[in-house]
Amino acid sequence: MIIESRSMESAEEDEQLGLESEDEDSELSDDELQEAFAKGLLKPGMNVLVDKPKKLVNNLEGLKQCLADFRKDLPWVERLDLTNPPAEDVLAKAEGKVPNPANGDVNADDDFQREMFFYRQAQATVLEALPLLNKNGISTKRPDDYFAEMAKSDQHMQKIRKKLISKQLIMERSEKAKKLREQRKFGKKVQIEVIQKRQKEKKAMMSAVKKYQKGMTDKLDFLEGDQKKGKEPAQGSKKVANKKGPNAKRKYKDQKFGFGGKKSGKKWNTKESFNDVSSFRAKVAHAKGGKGGKKGKGGKQNKRPGKSVRRKMKGRS
Amino acid sequence: MAAFKRKRGTLGAEKKAKKVKFVSGGGEELNEVDEEIKNEVTIPAPVSMGKWTNKERVLIFSSRGINFRTRHLMQDLRTLMPHSKADTKMDRKDKLFVVNEVCEIKNCNKCLFFEAKKKQDLYMWISNTPHGPSAKFLVQNIHTLAELKMTGNCLKGSRPLLSFDPKFDKEPHYALLKELFTQTFSTPRYHPKSQPFVDHIFTFTIADNRIWFRNYQIIEEDASLVEIGPRFVLNLIKIFQGSFGGPTLYENPSFQSPNMHRREIRLAAAARVREKQMVKELQKIKRTEAKEEVDKDVTADVFLTPAEEKPVHIETEAPEPKVVKKNKHKAFKRQRMARR
Repeated sequence: MIIESRSMESAEEDEQLGLESEDEDSELSDDELQEAFAKGLLKPGMNVLVDKPKKLVNNLEGLKQCLADFRKDLPWVERLDLTNPPAEDVLAKAEGKVPNPANGDVNADDDFQREMFFYRQAQATVLEALPLLNKNGISTKRPDDYFAEMAKSDQHMQKIRKKLISKQLIMERSEKAKKLREQRKFGKKVQIEVIQKRQKEKKAMMSAVKKYQKGMTDKLDFLEGDQKKGKEPAQGSKKVANKKGPNAKRKYKDQKFGFGGKKSGKKWNTKESFNDVSSFRAKVAHAKGGKGGKKGKGGKQNKRPGKSVRRKMKGRS
Repeated sequence: MAAFKRKRGTLGAEKKAKKVKFVSGGGEELNEVDEEIKNEVTIPAPVSMGKWTNKERVLIFSSRGINFRTRHLMQDLRTLMPHSKADTKMDRKDKLFVVNEVCEIKNCNKCLFFEAKKKQDLYMWISNTPHGPSAKFLVQNIHTLAELKMTGNCLKGSRPLLSFDPKFDKEPHYALLKELFTQTFSTPRYHPKSQPFVDHIFTFTIADNRIWFRNYQIIEEDASLVEIGPRFVLNLIKIFQGSFGGPTLYENPSFQSPNMHRREIRLAAAARVREKQMVKELQKIKRTEAKEEVDKDVTADVFLTPAEEKPVHIETEAPEPKVVKKNKHKAFKRQRMARR
């Protein structure tokens, strides 16, 4: 009995091993494995269950036979089909990159290249087919007065047109905005530069003037420097007027109010200024009673009445 | 109701020219006579009289569970192919070979059947109905006629030019597919619903082991084109010898079912997460591991410079303060500046 069951098991096992099925075999028991090993079906070492490579059907003969049976021999005019590689890529040639070897296998991921490939294929077909069509009397141009139903309705075409126009407008607007922004930036830059230049000049002028004031330099070159720079033969009189005007005013004010900064002690009393009595007016100094006479006349007006008088006034009113 | 006939291409014709329908020969003739008496317009015999020999009819329909995009794609194909017929949705309970019977009822000899699974994946069957070969594709990247980026337009029912990639001639299965496409998509000449002009072109190209379909409008004679749509990508699954069944002639080795694709993505994501977790755990273990104690610092001797030892001198008294000498020979600042 035992022998029979064993033989039965081994028979089953043979089937299983022969088929190399993927699942269920992980439950092969140890006994069965031992028997298989004894028989020489399993070799020592790690045994991995391998999937049998799936055999794909490629019945070339069958395909050819089928094609021969199925093909209909129609004149070209009925079928209007053409097989051709894509047309020459004018743009790519102009740019200098001609990926000719890669042409056979267009990269499906590069959207633009792929679509251009299809486009060129269609172009090549059209170029080839037009003369053939003309020969066979089939026209491709429809006359202007031929009105017929189109695949897309007029309404739809209107929508498409509107969308295209709106896209164009948006692009134009964004272009304009960009240009404006650029201009503004540029203008701002120029403005800043001009201001900085002016500030620099002012600073230089002021420091030169202060130097002269404090006695460090005794040259008045800075004034002339201004004039020299300002003299442009093209501008002529206007510039001259400009130059003299503020200078005179400025000069007067500077003289009156000083050049700013720490006072250099010019307004303090010196021995000479103290001893200078030229602005002494004797009449003014010795005038007596001027204020007194005036006081006699307008005294009544200004003088306040006494308490009794005030009380009386108050009582009356 | 009299059929409203107009001569094609007359000046000042209406915007929509109605096409003549071949319903029944006798009724038409009577109407014709009536019209002649009433309008005195010469009504020519239909152009296709006797000339329409290539009787191709394509049945385009779908199963249940399709989404809006597929529905629009079907409608677009029906618009573009005047030799097509429509049918109601087929129940998925029926087996596929029922489609053959439906085609026979409708008197069609080609069929485009769209099948949607899981409301996500769209499969397309194209077949030559009575006995001929059939093929199953997975359809991807569908864009319909109604998309606003497709700016071209063509006559409804005009005959298309078909353009194929040279790769179609290289392999026998592609050659078979080319023949199938040609017979299905080309409009027969003198079909009563067709327009006599050729103004658009279908292109079939092979890239990345898939078939890409595009539809362009021919604007100028110098081959400037604009896309009309629709556009889709076909991924071949199998080619069968019979219509919707029969022995398999070809299986695409690079085809991966969308389920497997999604599964792979999910597994990849899961594997990444698992790996991150493992790395984190390893780091934890490393941190809590007992660290080796090193007795001797290997780098202690790096800065030892061999030199003689100086005698240690201990100062008991504070050092004397340094004498700062003021240089009184400098001139005053103002004078210095003046000199400059």
